Amino acid sequence: MSMISHTQSKDSGSRADHGTRAHATGVADAGRWSTHRIAVYALFVALAMATSFLEFPIFPAAPWLKYDPSGIVCLVAGFAFGPAAAAIVSTLGFVPHVFTDPWGALMAILVAVCLSVPAALVYRRMRTRAGAALGLLAGAALALAAAICGNLVITPMYAAMSVAQVAALVVPVLLPFNLLKFAIHAAVTFLVYKPVVALVDR
Amino acid sequence: MTSFPGPPAPDAAPAKLEHVRFSYDGGATWALDDVSLTIQAGERVCLVGANGSGKSTLARLLAGLAAPDGGTVTLFGHRAFDDASGADTHAYRAARRLIGAVFQNPEDQIVTTVVADDVAFGPENLALPRQTIGDRVARTLDAVGMAGRRRDDPTRLSGGQQQRVAIAGMLAMRPRLLVLDEPTAMLDAAARREVLAILDRVQEAGTAIVHVTHHPQETAHADRVIRLDHGRVIAETRPESDRAVPRRAQAPARAAEPAAGGDVALDVRQVRFAYPGAAAPALDDVSLTVRQGEVVALMGPNGSGKSTLTRLLCALERPDGGAIRVGGVTLTGRKPRRRELTRLRRTVGLVMQHPERQLFAPTVREDVAYGPRNQGLAETDVQDRVDDALALLRIGALAGRSPFHLSVGQQRLAAIAGVIACRPEVLVLDEPTAGLDDAARERVAGLVRDLKARGVAILLITHEADEAAALADRVVHLDHGRVVPAGDADRNTGADGARPAPQPPASFVARLDPRVKTVATLAAMFSAFAIGSPWQLLLAALAVGAVVTASRLAPLRLLASVRPFLVLFAVMGLLNVAVVRTGTPLVAWGWLLVTDRGLATAGLYACRFALVILLGAVFLATTTPTAITDAFASLLTPLRRLGLHTQELTLVLSLALRFLPTLTGEARAIMDAQSARGGSIETGSPPRRIRAMAAIVVPVLAGALRHADGLGLALDARCYEAGAPRTPWHELRVRAGDVAFAAATAGFVAALVALGAVT
Repeated sequence: MSMISHTQSKDSGSRADHGTRAHATGVADAGRWSTHRIAVYALFVALAMATSFLEFPIFPAAPWLKYDPSGIVCLVAGFAFGPAAAAIVSTLGFVPHVFTDPWGALMAILVAVCLSVPAALVYRRMRTRAGAALGLLAGAALALAAAICGNLVITPMYAAMSVAQVAALVVPVLLPFNLLKFAIHAAVTFLVYKPVVALVDR
Repeated sequence: MTSFPGPPAPDAAPAKLEHVRFSYDGGATWALDDVSLTIQAGERVCLVGANGSGKSTLARLLAGLAAPDGGTVTLFGHRAFDDASGADTHAYRAARRLIGAVFQNPEDQIVTTVVADDVAFGPENLALPRQTIGDRVARTLDAVGMAGRRRDDPTRLSGGQQQRVAIAGMLAMRPRLLVLDEPTAMLDAAARREVLAILDRVQEAGTAIVHVTHHPQETAHADRVIRLDHGRVIAETRPESDRAVPRRAQAPARAAEPAAGGDVALDVRQVRFAYPGAAAPALDDVSLTVRQGEVVALMGPNGSGKSTLTRLLCALERPDGGAIRVGGVTLTGRKPRRRELTRLRRTVGLVMQHPERQLFAPTVREDVAYGPRNQGLAETDVQDRVDDALALLRIGALAGRSPFHLSVGQQRLAAIAGVIACRPEVLVLDEPTAGLDDAARERVAGLVRDLKARGVAILLITHEADEAAALADRVVHLDHGRVVPAGDADRNTGADGARPAPQPPASFVARLDPRVKTVATLAAMFSAFAIGSPWQLLLAALAVGAVVTASRLAPLRLLASVRPFLVLFAVMGLLNVAVVRTGTPLVAWGWLLVTDRGLATAGLYACRFALVILLGAVFLATTTPTAITDAFASLLTPLRRLGLHTQELTLVLSLALRFLPTLTGEARAIMDAQSARGGSIETGSPPRRIRAMAAIVVPVLAGALRHADGLGLALDARCYEAGAPRTPWHELRVRAGDVAFAAATAGFVAALVALGAVT
């Protein structure tokens, strides 16, 4: 039952020195749940939690709809570490919100997962600027659908509106707000993901 | 490789390295080149050398946290690595249980929010029996003098206290060898003394110590001092002979200068400031002046208000009393106008603590150019300023490199250049040389002298008396927010750190099993959304009232937690009122029709949402993050059968909750620093605002990765391994009170549903 790990002293040297093959001892330094990975997931989840509390209104017509930058954190986590990381960050990142606004938190989790996981899947196949852009588009489209559906289900619980009445709000209010929100997510992510991915691969 | 190694021989050398080599870039350069070193049992060895000499790398190899590229490593008599067969995982795993490692940044070594739990983390990973864990925690906290703080939140302690907790956490694993990598680098003098005293006691107890440092005074009690340079051992001495070397190059003797100063550039008059909710003011009747071409040093223990004063100078906070005149702008309690703020940002340059954390651009040149560009200068002027700033700090050669590939010292200089490029008339430096080696310190000192000659007014915040003496014309001492004469400030070492965090009152609700509490709270919160009639509302209000009473929380404090949602209520209420058109009309105003049904509905929805929030607030106030994650771990165990790694996910959640306040604080500091350089996400054209957001997001992400590196090492050093058996110290047990509470909650939900069916 011995687990001898190989060290290739002539490694290409392009991988980060996070206990990867070059200097690995074999103890907890490989695989999805290596100590370094756990630490990274934890920090990104913390970041998602922190940013999810930074809300500000961006749509004057509907001041109760707020933007928060946590989607950017989920997207970057997905680009840098893969779809599983995107899912973990998107889910655990909203755990504190479950205890302040339960339905809102569930919807936020759904939207974040729909945003970051497809984007990460696309980027995994095409690790180029174009791939990133395509992934962001795919994620935004799915997240938009999820947000609209989620609003249809949840808004009646917060306001005495029937589903039909909420549906009437979709085109004038919900659609433009969510488009704007995902546009900001996509723009900022596109600007910042490269240096972060480079830091991880260094 | 050998089979599973047995226990180490009693006096086997803890670590023996022979001809090891280590490279970070696949052999292009060698961080360690043919190093051979043996650490004997019970010996205390100091590793010294300049930044980049390979000390940290060597420390990591000795601690068994990394394997080299070549050579032989023998830990506790067992071959852990050699050229022929590579790394032996079993040997490393066994060795790590006997080796403790403490690193520079205490924050990245803390894994939970309770001191005792943090110390217990290592023993838990060793799968020791519960009773043993408890004993070890108590003993080691005693040994480092933190027994009285066992229930405190380690993230709120001072740096020195945090390092003591980190050391306790390692000692609780009973290591034979303790490796410390610059443990005092981020501490002030008093905290440094405390940590060194603990090391002396550890040495007396017979544990071998490897202590990496670049403070020659810390080598006094070592048996051997080993000096590294460019990856090689160049000297091995006894500590006595080291004392002959002067601490650092003598500051050049200053010729008798005429009293410095032109006009007064910064005038602080009787400023008073208290953070909201704080017991005592952070600054109380503080006055000081700095003239052009003058350097004033501001000294004082941690918590004396120095950093608060810098924030006031940059209008990041407004004083409660008094006034600050700087750059033609007067800052008082009144909110400053935009034009005043712009003027202020051009005049005052602020270099915060650890400014390298705010670097964000692809190249050093781009980052330094950020400030001048935000000032709206022409591109040629911007480049001139950048070149000038880089030249002043003598880092012109780094202009085209990515800031993330530089060493910490180089990053610090680049960040300072970014502020200098804004050509401030008043420069505030908050501990600019903390953690730097002598060469980098000299550059900062040179910068201060050059700027002084140019007539810049400089306020230098520092812990180091000799730095203040060498660079400053005058020294002002702060203590507990007041300016005090020199002697008094030194007497109060301020080693006490923050007041202990407020504990939730011991109450029935606080003592409930967290699993029961979580499920019950969530059930109640979700079902509250089914409230549709006043009777249900009444029932729910009574139930919530009962819970609040049983939690012994101050009702007013609890209601304060609802305040952020009041705006939401108002809007929701308006929406409801506008949408519901049935019932008797009360007020008709244009298209807005207010009916009694509308008002009733609005009231109902608002009240039920308020109850939901109150329940959540009670839960969060009576349950520690550790308890929440313990509950999650336990509740999610059935999902293990579906392949979900619940133990690891729970650790991720618990670490995230621990780092949440840390990252929030850092994000705020970065936002302050960038806004001090003129970057703002609230004003300007959309592209500029997006750029400003990137200037915040990138350093925040880089900071998260940096913390993750340190945290990963700490998890390794404390022997955490996914899938390995471990003993949780806290046992969750459901008792009679929990059963009663669960039954009551079930009854409540049933009654709610019944009422809904009836009415």
